[in-house]
Amino acid sequence: MSLILNNIGRKVSRNWIIRNLNLRVENGQCLALLGPSGCGKSTTLRLIAGLDKPSEGSIILNDKDITSISPVDRKVGMVFQSYALFPHLSIAENLLLGLKIRGINLPEQQRRVSNILSLMQLEGYANRKPSDLSGGQRQRVALARALLREPMIYLLDEPMSNLDAQLREELRTELRRLILNKDKPVVYVTHDQHEAMAMANRIAVLRNGELEQIGSPEDLYHKPSSLFVATFIGRPQINQLTNENKIIKAIRPENIYLDDSGLECKLIYREWLGNNQLWLLNSPKGNLRMLCDASLSVPERIQISWSKNHEHLFNKYDGKRIY
Amino acid sequence: MNKINPWFVAICIWSLAPLLWQLYTSFSTSEALTMPLSEVEKRWTFDNYIQILNAEPPFWRYLINSTILSLSTTIITLILSIPAAYSITKLPTFIANNFKRVLLSAALFPYVLLFLALLEVARKLNIGNNLLALSIPYSALSIPLAVLLISSAFNDLPDGLDEAARLEGLNLFQRFRYILVPLIRPAVASTSILVFIFSWNEYPIALTWLSKENVLTLPVAIARIAGSSVYSVPYGAYAAATVLGSIPLLIVVMIFQKQIVSGLTKGAIKG
Repeated sequence: MSLILNNIGRKVSRNWIIRNLNLRVENGQCLALLGPSGCGKSTTLRLIAGLDKPSEGSIILNDKDITSISPVDRKVGMVFQSYALFPHLSIAENLLLGLKIRGINLPEQQRRVSNILSLMQLEGYANRKPSDLSGGQRQRVALARALLREPMIYLLDEPMSNLDAQLREELRTELRRLILNKDKPVVYVTHDQHEAMAMANRIAVLRNGELEQIGSPEDLYHKPSSLFVATFIGRPQINQLTNENKIIKAIRPENIYLDDSGLECKLIYREWLGNNQLWLLNSPKGNLRMLCDASLSVPERIQISWSKNHEHLFNKYDGKRIY
Repeated sequence: MNKINPWFVAICIWSLAPLLWQLYTSFSTSEALTMPLSEVEKRWTFDNYIQILNAEPPFWRYLINSTILSLSTTIITLILSIPAAYSITKLPTFIANNFKRVLLSAALFPYVLLFLALLEVARKLNIGNNLLALSIPYSALSIPLAVLLISSAFNDLPDGLDEAARLEGLNLFQRFRYILVPLIRPAVASTSILVFIFSWNEYPIALTWLSKENVLTLPVAIARIAGSSVYSVPYGAYAAATVLGSIPLLIVVMIFQKQIVSGLTKGAIKG
Protein backbone atom coordinates (compact mmCIF):
# COMPACT_ATOMS: atom_id res chain seq x y z
CA MET A 1 0.00 0.00 0.00
CA SER A 2 1.62 3.19 -1.16
CA LEU A 3 1.55 6.19 -3.42
CA ILE A 4 3.52 5.96 -6.64
CA LEU A 5 4.10 8.73 -9.18
CA ASN A 6 5.13 7.26 -12.51
CA ASN A 7 7.01 9.59 -14.80
CA ILE A 8 4.62 12.45 -14.07
CA GLY A 9 4.73 15.61 -16.15
CA ARG A 10 2.56 18.67 -16.46
CA LYS A 11 2.70 21.17 -19.26
CA VAL A 12 0.97 24.55 -19.22
CA SER A 13 0.84 26.14 -22.66
CA ARG A 14 4.36 25.27 -23.82
CA ASN A 15 6.19 25.11 -20.53
CA TRP A 16 6.79 22.02 -18.49
CA ILE A 17 5.99 22.92 -14.89
CA ILE A 18 7.10 19.52 -13.81
CA ARG A 19 8.65 16.67 -15.77
CA ASN A 20 9.88 13.09 -15.47
CA LEU A 21 8.95 12.87 -11.84
CA ASN A 22 9.10 9.46 -10.20
CA LEU A 23 8.27 9.19 -6.53
CA ARG A 24 7.16 6.52 -4.14
CA VAL A 25 5.75 7.08 -0.68
CA GLU A 26 5.01 4.09 1.54
CA ASN A 27 2.20 4.00 4.05
CA GLY A 28 3.20 5.68 7.27
CA GLN A 29 6.00 7.52 5.53
CA CYS A 30 6.27 11.25 5.18
CA LEU A 31 7.84 12.57 2.02
CA ALA A 32 8.75 16.26 1.94
CA LEU A 33 8.79 18.04 -1.39
CA LEU A 34 11.37 20.75 -0.94
CA GLY A 35 12.47 23.50 -3.24
CA PRO A 36 12.39 27.22 -3.95
CA SER A 37 9.16 28.82 -5.14
CA GLY A 38 8.31 27.90 -8.71
CA CYS A 39 10.11 24.56 -8.56
CA GLY A 40 6.88 22.61 -9.11
CA LYS A 41 6.35 21.24 -5.62
CA SER A 42 2.84 22.65 -5.18
CA THR A 43 1.94 21.54 -8.70
CA THR A 44 2.99 18.00 -7.80
CA LEU A 45 0.70 18.10 -4.78
CA ARG A 46 -2.20 19.38 -6.87
CA LEU A 47 -1.64 16.57 -9.34
CA ILE A 48 -1.80 14.03 -6.54
CA ALA A 49 -4.97 15.65 -5.19
CA GLY A 50 -6.52 15.63 -8.65
CA LEU A 51 -6.99 19.40 -8.77
CA ASP A 52 -4.86 19.48 -11.93
CA LYS A 53 -4.45 16.82 -14.59
CA PRO A 54 -1.01 15.50 -15.48
CA SER A 55 0.04 15.84 -19.13
CA GLU A 56 1.85 12.55 -18.95
CA GLY A 57 2.54 9.71 -16.55
CA SER A 58 0.32 8.01 -14.01
CA ILE A 59 -0.46 8.15 -10.32
CA ILE A 60 -1.01 4.92 -8.42
CA LEU A 61 -2.53 4.84 -4.95
CA ASN A 62 -2.76 1.50 -3.18
CA ASP A 63 -2.27 -0.43 -6.45
CA LYS A 64 -5.07 1.50 -8.14
CA ASP A 65 -4.48 3.91 -11.01
CA ILE A 66 -6.08 7.17 -9.89
CA THR A 67 -4.74 9.38 -12.69
CA SER A 68 -8.13 10.16 -14.14
CA ILE A 69 -10.25 9.83 -11.01
CA SER A 70 -11.99 12.91 -9.61
CA PRO A 71 -10.52 14.60 -6.52
CA VAL A 72 -13.42 13.46 -4.30
CA ASP A 73 -13.02 9.79 -5.11
CA ARG A 74 -9.30 9.89 -4.40
CA LYS A 75 -10.09 10.46 -0.74
CA VAL A 76 -7.24 12.86 -0.14
CA GLY A 77 -6.94 14.93 3.01
CA MET A 78 -5.40 18.17 1.88
CA VAL A 79 -4.38 21.12 3.99
CA PHE A 80 -3.89 24.33 2.09
CA GLN A 81 -1.29 26.98 2.77
CA SER A 82 -4.06 29.57 3.06
CA TYR A 83 -6.11 27.14 5.23
CA ALA A 84 -9.00 27.66 2.75
CA LEU A 85 -11.63 27.71 5.46
CA PHE A 86 -15.01 28.94 4.28
CA PRO A 87 -15.15 32.44 5.77
CA HIS A 88 -18.93 32.74 5.86
CA LEU A 89 -19.45 29.52 7.81
CA SER A 90 -18.77 28.87 11.48
CA ILE A 91 -16.09 26.39 12.49
CA ALA A 92 -18.68 23.68 13.08
CA GLU A 93 -20.36 24.40 9.74
CA ASN A 94 -17.00 24.28 8.01
CA LEU A 95 -16.46 20.81 9.39
CA LEU A 96 -20.05 19.62 8.90
CA LEU A 97 -20.35 20.65 5.26
CA GLY A 98 -18.35 17.75 3.85
CA LEU A 99 -20.10 15.20 6.09
CA LYS A 100 -23.48 16.55 5.04
CA ILE A 101 -22.57 16.32 1.36
CA ARG A 102 -21.38 12.76 1.82
CA GLY A 103 -24.78 11.87 3.22
CA ILE A 104 -23.79 10.94 6.74
CA ASN A 105 -26.74 11.02 9.12
CA LEU A 106 -27.21 13.96 11.43
CA PRO A 107 -26.37 12.46 14.86
CA GLU A 108 -23.26 10.86 13.36
CA GLN A 109 -22.22 14.21 11.86
CA GLN A 110 -22.57 15.90 15.25
CA ARG A 111 -20.68 13.13 17.00
CA ARG A 112 -17.74 13.20 14.60
CA VAL A 113 -17.45 16.97 14.65
CA SER A 114 -17.52 17.22 18.44
CA ASN A 115 -14.94 14.41 18.61
CA ILE A 116 -12.60 16.13 16.23
CA LEU A 117 -13.06 19.49 17.97
CA SER A 118 -12.03 18.01 21.28
CA LEU A 119 -9.12 16.17 19.63
CA MET A 120 -7.97 19.54 18.28
CA GLN A 121 -8.67 21.35 21.57
CA LEU A 122 -11.09 23.64 19.78
CA GLU A 123 -14.23 22.83 21.80
CA GLY A 124 -15.14 26.41 22.59
CA TYR A 125 -14.85 27.58 19.02
CA ALA A 126 -17.60 25.63 17.26
CA ASN A 127 -19.77 28.68 16.66
CA ARG A 128 -17.02 31.17 15.88
CA LYS A 129 -16.18 32.31 12.38
CA PRO A 130 -12.72 31.56 10.96
CA SER A 131 -11.91 35.29 11.11
CA ASP A 132 -12.27 35.16 14.93
CA LEU A 133 -9.53 32.53 15.22
CA SER A 134 -5.76 32.89 15.37
CA GLY A 135 -3.56 31.51 12.60
CA GLY A 136 -2.66 28.42 14.59
CA GLN A 137 -6.30 27.70 15.43
CA ARG A 138 -7.34 28.12 11.81
CA GLN A 139 -4.65 25.71 10.78
CA ARG A 140 -5.94 23.19 13.31
CA VAL A 141 -9.45 23.56 11.87
CA ALA A 142 -8.06 22.95 8.40
CA LEU A 143 -6.34 19.87 9.74
CA ALA A 144 -9.54 18.73 11.41
CA ARG A 145 -11.39 19.07 8.14
CA ALA A 146 -8.79 16.91 6.41
CA LEU A 147 -9.00 14.29 9.16
CA LEU A 148 -12.80 14.14 8.94
CA ARG A 149 -12.48 13.06 5.34
CA GLU A 150 -10.87 9.81 6.56
CA PRO A 151 -8.42 10.07 3.71
CA MET A 152 -6.24 7.43 2.10
CA ILE A 153 -3.41 9.93 1.86
CA TYR A 154 -2.51 13.26 3.47
CA LEU A 155 -1.31 16.21 1.41
CA LEU A 156 0.04 19.20 3.27
CA ASP A 157 0.82 22.34 1.28
CA GLU A 158 3.13 24.57 3.28
CA PRO A 159 0.95 24.01 6.33
CA MET A 160 3.00 26.21 8.62
CA SER A 161 4.31 28.98 6.42
CA ASN A 162 1.83 31.53 7.78
CA LEU A 163 2.58 30.83 11.43
CA ASP A 164 5.18 32.29 13.74
CA ALA A 165 8.10 30.23 14.99
CA GLN A 166 6.65 29.19 18.34
CA LEU A 167 3.35 28.05 16.83
CA ARG A 168 5.26 26.00 14.28
CA GLU A 169 6.96 24.06 17.05
CA GLU A 170 3.58 23.35 18.64
CA LEU A 171 1.90 22.40 15.42
CA ARG A 172 4.72 20.04 14.50
CA THR A 173 3.99 18.04 17.61
CA GLU A 174 0.32 18.11 16.70
CA LEU A 175 1.00 16.93 13.15
CA ARG A 176 3.13 14.07 14.40
CA ARG A 177 0.41 13.02 16.81
CA LEU A 178 -2.42 13.18 14.28
CA ILE A 179 -1.08 12.46 10.84
CA LEU A 180 2.41 11.06 10.75
CA ASN A 181 2.92 7.41 11.64
CA LYS A 182 -0.74 6.75 10.90
CA ASP A 183 -0.14 4.10 8.27
CA LYS A 184 -1.07 6.48 5.48
CA PRO A 185 1.32 8.13 3.05
CA VAL A 186 1.94 11.82 3.78
CA VAL A 187 3.25 14.30 1.23
CA TYR A 188 4.47 17.51 2.76
CA VAL A 189 5.32 20.52 0.63
CA THR A 190 7.62 23.14 2.09
CA HIS A 191 10.30 25.59 1.11
CA ASP A 192 11.81 25.40 4.59
CA GLN A 193 14.64 22.89 4.70
CA HIS A 194 14.59 22.88 8.48
CA GLU A 195 10.93 21.88 8.55
CA ALA A 196 11.48 19.24 5.89
CA MET A 197 14.29 17.64 7.85
CA ALA A 198 12.31 17.76 11.07
CA MET A 199 9.13 16.19 9.70
CA ALA A 200 10.00 13.89 6.83
CA ASN A 201 11.44 10.42 6.52
CA ARG A 202 12.51 11.27 3.03
CA ILE A 203 13.02 14.53 1.19
CA ALA A 204 12.69 15.14 -2.53
CA VAL A 205 14.46 18.31 -3.63
CA LEU A 206 12.89 19.80 -6.74
CA ARG A 207 14.43 22.37 -9.01
CA ASN A 208 12.83 23.85 -12.12
CA GLY A 209 10.29 21.06 -12.24
CA GLU A 210 12.76 18.22 -12.03
CA LEU A 211 13.85 15.98 -9.23
CA GLU A 212 17.28 17.05 -8.07
CA GLN A 213 17.75 14.48 -5.33
CA ILE A 214 15.67 12.22 -3.16
CA GLY A 215 16.79 10.58 0.04
CA SER A 216 16.72 10.61 3.80
CA PRO A 217 17.48 13.93 5.52
CA GLU A 218 20.89 12.51 6.52
CA ASP A 219 21.70 11.53 2.93
CA LEU A 220 20.84 14.95 1.64
CA TYR A 221 22.85 16.63 4.33
CA HIS A 222 25.95 14.51 4.14
CA LYS A 223 25.93 13.53 0.50
CA PRO A 224 24.19 16.25 -1.51
CA SER A 225 24.11 15.20 -5.15
CA SER A 226 24.61 18.71 -6.40
CA LEU A 227 25.71 22.14 -5.30
CA PHE A 228 22.08 23.22 -5.41
CA VAL A 229 21.06 20.65 -2.82
CA ALA A 230 24.13 21.41 -0.74
CA THR A 231 23.29 25.11 -0.54
CA PHE A 232 19.58 24.48 -0.05
CA ILE A 233 19.99 22.13 2.86
CA GLY A 234 21.78 23.00 6.08
CA ARG A 235 21.92 26.32 7.90
CA PRO A 236 24.14 28.28 8.18
CA GLN A 237 24.67 27.74 4.50
CA ILE A 238 27.52 25.63 3.19
CA ASN A 239 30.69 27.51 2.21
CA GLN A 240 31.76 27.51 -1.41
CA LEU A 241 35.49 27.89 -1.75
CA THR A 242 37.02 29.82 -4.59
CA ASN A 243 37.11 27.24 -7.29
CA GLU A 244 40.19 25.40 -8.38
CA ASN A 245 40.20 24.24 -11.99
CA LYS A 246 36.75 22.95 -12.86
CA ILE A 247 35.81 22.01 -9.36
CA ILE A 248 33.87 23.80 -6.64
CA LYS A 249 34.84 22.75 -3.16
CA ALA A 250 32.26 23.18 -0.44
CA ILE A 251 32.56 22.80 3.29
CA ARG A 252 29.89 23.00 5.97
CA PRO A 253 30.38 25.75 8.59
CA GLU A 254 30.39 23.24 11.47
CA ASN A 255 33.25 21.24 9.92
CA ILE A 256 35.65 24.16 10.19
CA TYR A 257 37.82 24.36 13.33
CA LEU A 258 40.62 26.47 14.71
CA ASP A 259 44.07 25.12 13.90
CA ASP A 260 47.42 26.82 14.52
CA SER A 261 48.83 25.49 11.27
CA GLY A 262 45.78 26.39 9.19
CA LEU A 263 44.58 29.13 6.92
CA GLU A 264 44.93 32.64 8.34
CA CYS A 265 41.70 34.70 8.39
CA LYS A 266 40.25 37.96 9.57
CA LEU A 267 36.98 38.12 11.50
CA ILE A 268 34.27 40.18 9.77
CA TYR A 269 31.47 39.64 12.24
CA ARG A 270 30.28 37.36 14.93
CA GLU A 271 26.75 36.14 15.45
CA TRP A 272 25.79 34.64 18.74
CA LEU A 273 23.18 31.89 18.28
CA GLY A 274 22.71 30.76 21.90
CA ASN A 275 24.13 27.26 21.97
CA ASN A 276 26.79 28.13 19.40
CA GLN A 277 28.11 31.05 17.42
CA LEU A 278 28.72 31.90 13.82
CA TRP A 279 31.84 33.68 12.64
CA LEU A 280 32.07 35.19 9.24
CA LEU A 281 35.72 35.08 8.25
CA ASN A 282 37.63 36.67 5.44
CA SER A 283 40.11 34.09 4.18
CA PRO A 284 42.39 33.88 1.13
CA LYS A 285 39.80 31.49 -0.30
CA GLY A 286 36.93 33.93 0.08
CA ASN A 287 34.49 34.60 2.89
CA LEU A 288 33.78 31.59 5.08
CA ARG A 289 31.12 30.87 7.67
CA MET A 290 32.35 28.98 10.68
CA LEU A 291 30.11 27.50 13.33
CA CYS A 292 31.73 26.97 16.72
CA ASP A 293 31.03 26.54 20.40
CA ALA A 294 29.33 29.45 22.11
CA SER A 295 32.01 29.61 24.79
CA LEU A 296 34.87 29.99 22.30
CA SER A 297 36.49 33.43 22.46
CA VAL A 298 38.06 34.99 19.41
CA PRO A 299 41.83 34.38 19.42
CA GLU A 300 44.34 37.04 18.37
CA ARG A 301 45.24 35.22 15.20
CA ILE A 302 42.50 33.19 13.62
CA GLN A 303 43.76 30.17 11.77
CA ILE A 304 41.33 27.57 10.53
CA SER A 305 41.37 24.17 8.98
CA TRP A 306 39.05 21.32 8.07
CA SER A 307 39.33 17.68 7.29
CA LYS A 308 39.53 16.56 3.68
CA ASN A 309 36.80 14.03 4.45
CA HIS A 310 34.31 16.80 5.00
CA GLU A 311 34.90 18.49 1.69
CA HIS A 312 32.17 18.20 -0.93
CA LEU A 313 33.38 18.46 -4.50
CA PHE A 314 31.12 19.65 -7.31
CA ASN A 315 31.57 20.08 -11.01
CA LYS A 316 31.78 23.79 -11.77
CA TYR A 317 29.69 23.53 -14.94
CA ASP A 318 26.71 21.42 -14.04
CA GLY A 319 26.98 21.58 -10.26
CA LYS A 320 26.89 17.80 -9.95
CA ARG A 321 28.73 16.04 -7.16
CA ILE A 322 32.11 14.63 -8.07
CA TYR A 323 33.01 13.18 -4.75
CA MET B 1 -16.58 65.18 13.31
CA ASN B 2 -18.92 67.57 15.09
CA LYS B 3 -18.42 70.22 12.49
CA ILE B 4 -20.56 69.74 9.44
CA ASN B 5 -18.49 69.53 6.32
CA PRO B 6 -19.74 72.18 3.85
CA TRP B 7 -18.92 69.88 0.95
CA PHE B 8 -21.16 67.26 2.44
CA VAL B 9 -24.01 69.78 2.62
CA ALA B 10 -23.33 70.91 -0.94
CA ILE B 11 -23.43 67.33 -2.22
CA CYS B 12 -26.64 66.62 -0.31
CA ILE B 13 -28.32 69.67 -1.81
CA TRP B 14 -26.98 68.83 -5.23
CA SER B 15 -28.34 65.30 -5.18
CA LEU B 16 -31.52 65.79 -3.17
CA ALA B 17 -32.77 69.03 -4.68
CA PRO B 18 -34.27 67.49 -7.84
CA LEU B 19 -36.08 64.88 -5.75
CA LEU B 20 -37.45 67.46 -3.35
CA TRP B 21 -38.53 69.66 -6.24
CA GLN B 22 -40.34 66.70 -7.74
CA LEU B 23 -42.06 66.03 -4.44
CA TYR B 24 -43.03 69.69 -4.15
CA THR B 25 -44.40 69.74 -7.68
CA SER B 26 -46.44 66.60 -7.13
CA PHE B 27 -48.37 68.24 -4.28
CA SER B 28 -48.87 71.58 -6.03
CA THR B 29 -51.90 72.71 -8.00
CA SER B 30 -51.22 73.68 -11.57
CA GLU B 31 -51.91 77.33 -10.73
CA ALA B 32 -49.23 77.20 -8.06
CA LEU B 33 -46.81 75.96 -10.68
CA THR B 34 -47.65 78.40 -13.44
CA MET B 35 -48.73 81.63 -11.72
CA PRO B 36 -47.08 84.01 -9.26
CA LEU B 37 -47.69 82.60 -5.76
CA SER B 38 -49.44 85.76 -4.54
CA GLU B 39 -52.30 85.22 -7.00
CA VAL B 40 -52.80 81.53 -6.18
CA GLU B 41 -55.82 80.66 -4.08
CA LYS B 42 -55.23 76.96 -3.57
CA ARG B 43 -51.60 76.01 -3.29
CA TRP B 44 -51.47 72.40 -2.08
CA THR B 45 -53.46 69.49 -3.47
CA PHE B 46 -53.69 65.71 -3.71
CA ASP B 47 -55.41 66.01 -7.09
CA ASN B 48 -52.34 64.90 -9.04
CA TYR B 49 -52.20 61.63 -7.15
CA ILE B 50 -55.94 61.17 -7.34
CA GLN B 51 -55.85 61.78 -11.07
CA ILE B 52 -53.22 59.16 -11.87
CA LEU B 53 -54.53 56.59 -9.41
CA ASN B 54 -58.06 56.89 -10.81
CA ALA B 55 -57.04 56.72 -14.44
CA GLU B 56 -57.99 53.66 -16.46
CA PRO B 57 -56.05 51.43 -15.99
CA PRO B 58 -54.98 52.81 -12.60
CA PHE B 59 -51.39 53.75 -12.01
CA TRP B 60 -50.52 50.83 -9.73
CA ARG B 61 -51.03 48.56 -12.74
CA TYR B 62 -47.86 50.06 -14.28
CA LEU B 63 -45.99 49.78 -11.01
CA ILE B 64 -46.80 46.09 -10.96
CA ASN B 65 -45.83 45.70 -14.63
CA SER B 66 -42.49 47.36 -14.09
CA THR B 67 -41.82 45.36 -10.93
CA ILE B 68 -42.56 42.06 -12.66
CA LEU B 69 -40.43 42.99 -15.64
CA SER B 70 -37.48 44.27 -13.58
CA LEU B 71 -37.54 41.28 -11.27
CA SER B 72 -37.64 38.77 -14.09
CA THR B 73 -34.85 40.61 -15.90
CA THR B 74 -32.71 40.63 -12.77
CA ILE B 75 -33.31 36.94 -12.11
CA ILE B 76 -32.59 35.88 -15.70
CA THR B 77 -29.48 38.04 -15.78
CA LEU B 78 -28.12 36.57 -12.54
CA ILE B 79 -28.89 32.98 -13.50
CA LEU B 80 -26.98 33.39 -16.74
CA SER B 81 -24.21 35.69 -15.53
CA ILE B 82 -23.01 33.88 -12.41
CA PRO B 83 -22.02 30.62 -14.17
CA ALA B 84 -20.59 32.59 -17.09
CA ALA B 85 -18.51 34.76 -14.77
CA TYR B 86 -17.27 31.68 -12.91
CA SER B 87 -16.22 29.95 -16.10
CA ILE B 88 -14.29 33.01 -17.24
CA THR B 89 -12.18 32.86 -14.09
CA LYS B 90 -11.26 29.27 -14.96
CA LEU B 91 -10.02 30.12 -18.45
CA PRO B 92 -6.35 30.74 -19.25
CA THR B 93 -5.55 34.41 -18.61
CA PHE B 94 -5.02 35.29 -22.25
CA ILE B 95 -8.40 33.96 -23.39
CA ALA B 96 -10.17 35.34 -20.33
CA ASN B 97 -8.79 38.82 -20.98
CA ASN B 98 -9.98 38.77 -24.57
CA PHE B 99 -13.38 37.59 -23.42
CA LYS B 100 -13.55 40.49 -21.01
CA ARG B 101 -12.60 42.93 -23.76
CA VAL B 102 -15.44 41.66 -25.91
CA LEU B 103 -17.84 41.90 -22.98
CA LEU B 104 -16.70 45.41 -22.21
CA SER B 105 -17.30 46.57 -25.77
CA ALA B 106 -20.74 44.98 -25.62
CA ALA B 107 -21.45 46.72 -22.32
CA LEU B 108 -20.34 50.06 -23.74
CA PHE B 109 -22.36 49.73 -26.96
CA PRO B 110 -25.08 52.43 -27.19
CA TYR B 111 -28.08 50.17 -27.03
CA VAL B 112 -30.48 52.80 -28.37
CA LEU B 113 -29.06 51.96 -31.79
CA LEU B 114 -30.58 48.51 -31.44
CA PHE B 115 -34.20 49.33 -30.76
CA LEU B 116 -35.38 49.35 -34.37
CA ALA B 117 -33.74 46.01 -35.05
CA LEU B 118 -35.22 44.66 -31.84
CA LEU B 119 -38.65 45.85 -32.87
CA GLU B 120 -38.22 43.86 -36.07
CA VAL B 121 -37.31 40.80 -34.01
CA ALA B 122 -40.35 41.28 -31.79
CA ARG B 123 -42.59 41.52 -34.81
CA LYS B 124 -41.13 38.39 -36.45
CA LEU B 125 -41.43 36.33 -33.29
CA ASN B 126 -44.76 37.86 -32.43
CA ILE B 127 -43.72 38.77 -28.90
CA GLY B 128 -44.66 42.45 -29.00
CA ASN B 129 -47.04 43.51 -26.22
CA ASN B 130 -45.81 40.63 -24.09
CA LEU B 131 -44.44 42.08 -20.89
CA LEU B 132 -42.22 39.16 -19.88
CA ALA B 133 -40.78 38.82 -23.38
CA LEU B 134 -39.27 42.26 -22.86
CA SER B 135 -36.96 40.80 -20.24
CA ILE B 136 -35.15 38.90 -23.01
CA PRO B 137 -33.58 42.00 -24.62
CA TYR B 138 -33.20 43.61 -21.18
CA SER B 139 -31.23 40.63 -19.88
CA ALA B 140 -29.18 40.46 -23.05
CA LEU B 141 -28.24 44.10 -22.62
CA SER B 142 -27.44 43.70 -18.91
CA ILE B 143 -25.46 40.47 -19.07
CA PRO B 144 -22.12 41.85 -20.36
CA LEU B 145 -21.71 44.26 -17.45
CA ALA B 146 -23.10 41.74 -14.96
CA VAL B 147 -20.59 39.10 -16.06
CA LEU B 148 -17.72 41.55 -15.73
CA LEU B 149 -18.74 42.65 -12.24
CA ILE B 150 -19.35 39.16 -10.95
CA SER B 151 -16.24 37.64 -12.48
CA SER B 152 -14.09 40.24 -10.77
CA ALA B 153 -15.74 39.23 -7.50
CA PHE B 154 -14.89 35.58 -8.20
CA ASN B 155 -11.33 36.62 -8.96
CA ASP B 156 -11.06 38.34 -5.59
CA LEU B 157 -12.00 35.20 -3.67
CA PRO B 158 -9.04 33.78 -1.78
CA ASP B 159 -7.22 30.89 -3.45
CA GLY B 160 -8.13 27.39 -2.55
CA LEU B 161 -11.72 27.89 -1.36
CA ASP B 162 -13.24 26.45 -4.49
CA GLU B 163 -10.73 23.64 -4.50
CA ALA B 164 -11.17 22.89 -0.83
CA ALA B 165 -14.88 22.60 -1.51
CA ARG B 166 -14.19 20.26 -4.42
CA LEU B 167 -12.10 18.04 -2.17
CA GLU B 168 -14.93 18.08 0.36
CA GLY B 169 -17.04 16.42 -2.30
CA LEU B 170 -19.22 19.33 -3.37
CA ASN B 171 -20.22 19.23 -7.00
CA LEU B 172 -20.38 22.37 -9.10
CA PHE B 173 -23.97 23.18 -8.18
CA GLN B 174 -23.34 22.59 -4.49
CA ARG B 175 -20.27 24.80 -4.61
CA PHE B 176 -22.35 27.62 -6.07
CA ARG B 177 -25.07 27.03 -3.54
CA TYR B 178 -23.00 26.71 -0.34
CA ILE B 179 -19.71 28.47 -1.03
CA LEU B 180 -19.36 30.65 -4.09
CA VAL B 181 -22.59 32.63 -4.28
CA PRO B 182 -22.77 33.36 -0.54
CA LEU B 183 -19.23 34.69 -0.73
CA ILE B 184 -19.84 37.02 -3.66
CA ARG B 185 -23.16 38.26 -2.30
CA PRO B 186 -22.06 41.92 -2.20
CA ALA B 187 -21.21 41.83 -5.91
CA VAL B 188 -24.45 40.01 -6.69
CA ALA B 189 -26.38 42.65 -4.76
CA SER B 190 -24.80 45.60 -6.52
CA THR B 191 -25.19 43.94 -9.91
CA SER B 192 -28.86 43.27 -9.14
CA ILE B 193 -29.42 46.93 -8.32
CA LEU B 194 -27.84 48.05 -11.57
CA VAL B 195 -29.87 45.61 -13.64
CA PHE B 196 -33.08 46.38 -11.77
CA ILE B 197 -32.67 50.13 -12.23
CA PHE B 198 -31.83 49.70 -15.89
CA SER B 199 -35.00 47.72 -16.60
CA TRP B 200 -37.06 50.05 -14.41
CA ASN B 201 -35.96 53.11 -16.36
CA GLU B 202 -35.63 51.70 -19.85
CA TYR B 203 -37.72 53.65 -22.37
CA PRO B 204 -37.04 53.23 -26.12
CA ILE B 205 -37.40 49.45 -26.33
CA ALA B 206 -40.44 49.41 -24.06
CA LEU B 207 -41.99 52.19 -26.08
CA THR B 208 -41.66 50.25 -29.32
CA TRP B 209 -42.50 46.77 -28.00
CA LEU B 210 -45.51 47.67 -25.90
CA SER B 211 -48.62 49.44 -27.05
CA LYS B 212 -51.57 47.87 -25.20
CA GLU B 213 -52.61 50.02 -22.22
CA ASN B 214 -52.50 47.28 -19.61
CA VAL B 215 -48.96 45.99 -20.32
CA LEU B 216 -47.14 49.32 -20.35
CA THR B 217 -44.16 49.91 -18.09
CA LEU B 218 -43.80 52.99 -15.92
CA PRO B 219 -41.66 55.19 -18.16
CA VAL B 220 -43.94 54.61 -21.14
CA ALA B 221 -47.07 55.10 -19.06
CA ILE B 222 -45.80 58.33 -17.55
CA ALA B 223 -45.10 59.71 -21.00
CA ARG B 224 -48.70 58.99 -21.94
CA ILE B 225 -50.28 60.97 -19.11
CA ALA B 226 -52.42 63.60 -20.76
CA GLY B 227 -53.25 67.08 -19.59
CA SER B 228 -56.70 68.62 -19.40
CA SER B 229 -56.23 70.04 -22.88
CA VAL B 230 -53.81 69.52 -25.72
CA TYR B 231 -52.09 72.80 -24.82
CA SER B 232 -51.46 72.17 -21.15
CA VAL B 233 -48.63 70.10 -19.75
CA PRO B 234 -49.67 68.08 -16.65
CA TYR B 235 -46.53 68.84 -14.60
CA GLY B 236 -48.19 67.87 -11.34
CA ALA B 237 -49.33 64.49 -12.64
CA TYR B 238 -45.89 63.76 -14.10
CA ALA B 239 -44.31 64.60 -10.78
CA ALA B 240 -46.79 62.45 -8.84
CA ALA B 241 -46.15 59.53 -11.18
CA THR B 242 -42.40 59.96 -10.82
CA VAL B 243 -42.65 60.04 -7.04
CA LEU B 244 -44.74 56.88 -6.93
CA GLY B 245 -42.45 55.25 -9.48
CA SER B 246 -39.36 55.99 -7.40
CA ILE B 247 -40.64 54.43 -4.20
CA PRO B 248 -40.15 50.75 -5.20
CA LEU B 249 -36.70 51.64 -6.49
CA LEU B 250 -35.79 53.23 -3.17
CA ILE B 251 -37.01 50.15 -1.33
CA VAL B 252 -34.93 47.83 -3.52
CA VAL B 253 -31.81 49.94 -3.09
CA MET B 254 -32.30 50.06 0.67
CA ILE B 255 -32.70 46.29 0.95
CA PHE B 256 -29.56 45.56 -1.04
CA GLN B 257 -27.52 48.41 0.38
CA LYS B 258 -27.68 46.80 3.80
CA GLN B 259 -26.23 43.62 2.30
CA ILE B 260 -23.45 45.44 0.51
CA VAL B 261 -22.42 47.36 3.60
CA SER B 262 -22.57 44.29 5.84
CA GLY B 263 -20.52 42.37 3.30
CA LEU B 264 -17.85 45.04 3.27
CA THR B 265 -17.61 45.56 7.01
CA LYS B 266 -17.72 41.96 8.15
CA GLY B 267 -14.69 41.04 6.06
CA ALA B 268 -16.61 38.20 4.47
CA ILE B 269 -14.10 38.04 1.66
CA LYS B 270 -10.86 38.09 3.59
CA GLY B 271 -10.76 35.10 5.91
